[in-house]
Amino acid sequence: MGNSLLSDDGVGLCVAAELKSRLDQSDVTIMETSVAGLSLLDLLVGYDRAIIIDAIQTVGGKAGQIYRLDPEAFDTTRRTISPHDVNFTTALEFGKKLGLPLPQEIVIFAIEASDVSTFSEECTPEVKQAIPTCVETVIQEIRRNPNT
Amino acid sequence: MKKITIDPITRLEGHGKIEIFLNDAGEVENSYFQVPELRGFEKFSEGRLAEDMPQITQRICGVCPEAHHMAATKTLDDLFHVDPPSPAKKLRELFYSSFYVTDHTTHFYILAGPDFVMGPEAPVAERNILGVIAKVGLELGGAVIKTRMQNHHIIQMLGGRAVHPVFGLPGGVSKGLSEEERKEVEQIAKDSVEFAKLSLKVFDDIVLKNKEYLDMILSDAYTHRTYYMGLVDEKNRVNFYDGKVRVVDPDGKEFAKYAPREYLDHVAERVEPWTYVKIPYLKKVGWKGFVDGKDSGVFRSTPLSRLNAADGMATPLAQAEYERFYSTLGGKPVHQTLATHWARLVELLYAAEKLLELSKDPEITSPNIRTIPTATPDEGVGIVEAPRGTLTHHYITDEKGIIKKANLIVATVNNVAAISMSVNKAAQALIKPGKKITEGLLNRIEMAWRPYDPCFGCATHTLPGQAPMEVTIYNSKGEVIEKLSR
Repeated sequence: MGNSLLSDDGVGLCVAAELKSRLDQSDVTIMETSVAGLSLLDLLVGYDRAIIIDAIQTVGGKAGQIYRLDPEAFDTTRRTISPHDVNFTTALEFGKKLGLPLPQEIVIFAIEASDVSTFSEECTPEVKQAIPTCVETVIQEIRRNPNT
Repeated sequence: MKKITIDPITRLEGHGKIEIFLNDAGEVENSYFQVPELRGFEKFSEGRLAEDMPQITQRICGVCPEAHHMAATKTLDDLFHVDPPSPAKKLRELFYSSFYVTDHTTHFYILAGPDFVMGPEAPVAERNILGVIAKVGLELGGAVIKTRMQNHHIIQMLGGRAVHPVFGLPGGVSKGLSEEERKEVEQIAKDSVEFAKLSLKVFDDIVLKNKEYLDMILSDAYTHRTYYMGLVDEKNRVNFYDGKVRVVDPDGKEFAKYAPREYLDHVAERVEPWTYVKIPYLKKVGWKGFVDGKDSGVFRSTPLSRLNAADGMATPLAQAEYERFYSTLGGKPVHQTLATHWARLVELLYAAEKLLELSKDPEITSPNIRTIPTATPDEGVGIVEAPRGTLTHHYITDEKGIIKKANLIVATVNNVAAISMSVNKAAQALIKPGKKITEGLLNRIEMAWRPYDPCFGCATHTLPGQAPMEVTIYNSKGEVIEKLSR
């Protein structure tokens, strides 16, 4: 996920592009998107597992740092105060209540971003350096048995 | 007073800020609404091929890429001096109507709904879509999801992919509709019309039949007498895709009507020290500050504004609802900001009806979907109504179509002055000396800007899925006495 025009915001898309060239598995779909909330929910319907890769900015975070998170990590923000949509946790809960076939397991890889507000198709150097590591981590995650 | 600071670990792009300043007596002196500025888009565009702009500009915004795609496409028509064939224009409008159905549906059920269904001061944990479906039933939740998915399917069918369509081209579109696809669109449109009617009934039952809510909508705290802007067709009816921009004054009289190329004669932008965003106002009225009235150049550009700026709707059911809207709220124009939620539903019905009308148009399956441009490009302006307001794109190129200058006035920016005024007025009405500032009270202040659905730039795809909002209250010494972040 990300915005390919806003510097580090596009880091998730860079990882996805690299994964596309590395992975050739018929049971793995790689999607690039910039949507949130309910629209993200639409994209997850019908899959067994999902790995989401995106940029993140945390209080005091170090640019390029990679975090492995689950959707509950965002539970503290659960409310409809978003200017445009529900947050991810609420969207997932909404989907579950409606009985939508959602992934059994969702893992999030988030890369600490430095600049997400300057128009540029390039990531900043620290974030760029994190891309190969994130790609390897995601591949390991895909190969991991989800039941272990 | 106790200082509260919540610093959630969250993506921080698209940070909206409300700053409220109190005087010595503890009353609200002034409030500001700030939108973050993204840096360098003009420079970023320079040197690029103009025909890439429908692809580039739709990536600016994760909320309404289709609106930027369509504005850019229309700008290219003007830039290359090419008139698309009639079927291409109809396909664009069909595509755009589907987009409107999805966007207005999301806004009403996710954003507006919780305040009214659960109540403005309901506990935070309940005031969301989960609370709404717990109260009104899973069936309606299912209908929301189905309507969105069906209309996204149409967008994908024509745009080639679910997000960031590859559809608009200078002089036409990249793909037409087969008869089989047309039938599918027609069925989705019929379902969407029924869904829009149901949504209006929900609004009727929950909001209009509740005297407390009706009083709140009509209250002075949420009222501003401003100019209103919106695109209209040749009969002055609301149009999202094409037409002229019409501006009416606070009495509802036509003040201006202009073609896209003339926008700079009518809209000027000013700089304020507290925000990087340039604030647009009506040039021929002039800037008098953040004030209401006929002498102030502040205008609004929202679903409510579009209804006020037009003489009616171009489809029968929406027209009937338009008439009911004004007869219920005391005639035109309606100045009550919270009525924007109802106006949005009138537009939802119009979008669904327009979709149905176009799906049955004999030309809609025509293969004549493109006029190849042959003229030398130079300068173009394109205007559409984005769901949040009037969206203007303006490009200047060299003779090879390379961008030399680009200017965009996006929907939320049009409304920055009005949003600031709305927040300030609600804060002044609600925050009183000695009165405890509760979460519910702050929510009532937020309800003043929620109808505008302000778009904080681009990256609202954020992992938590919400662009944070920060409310800071300062005392007369400039010290922070209350701060809430979400």
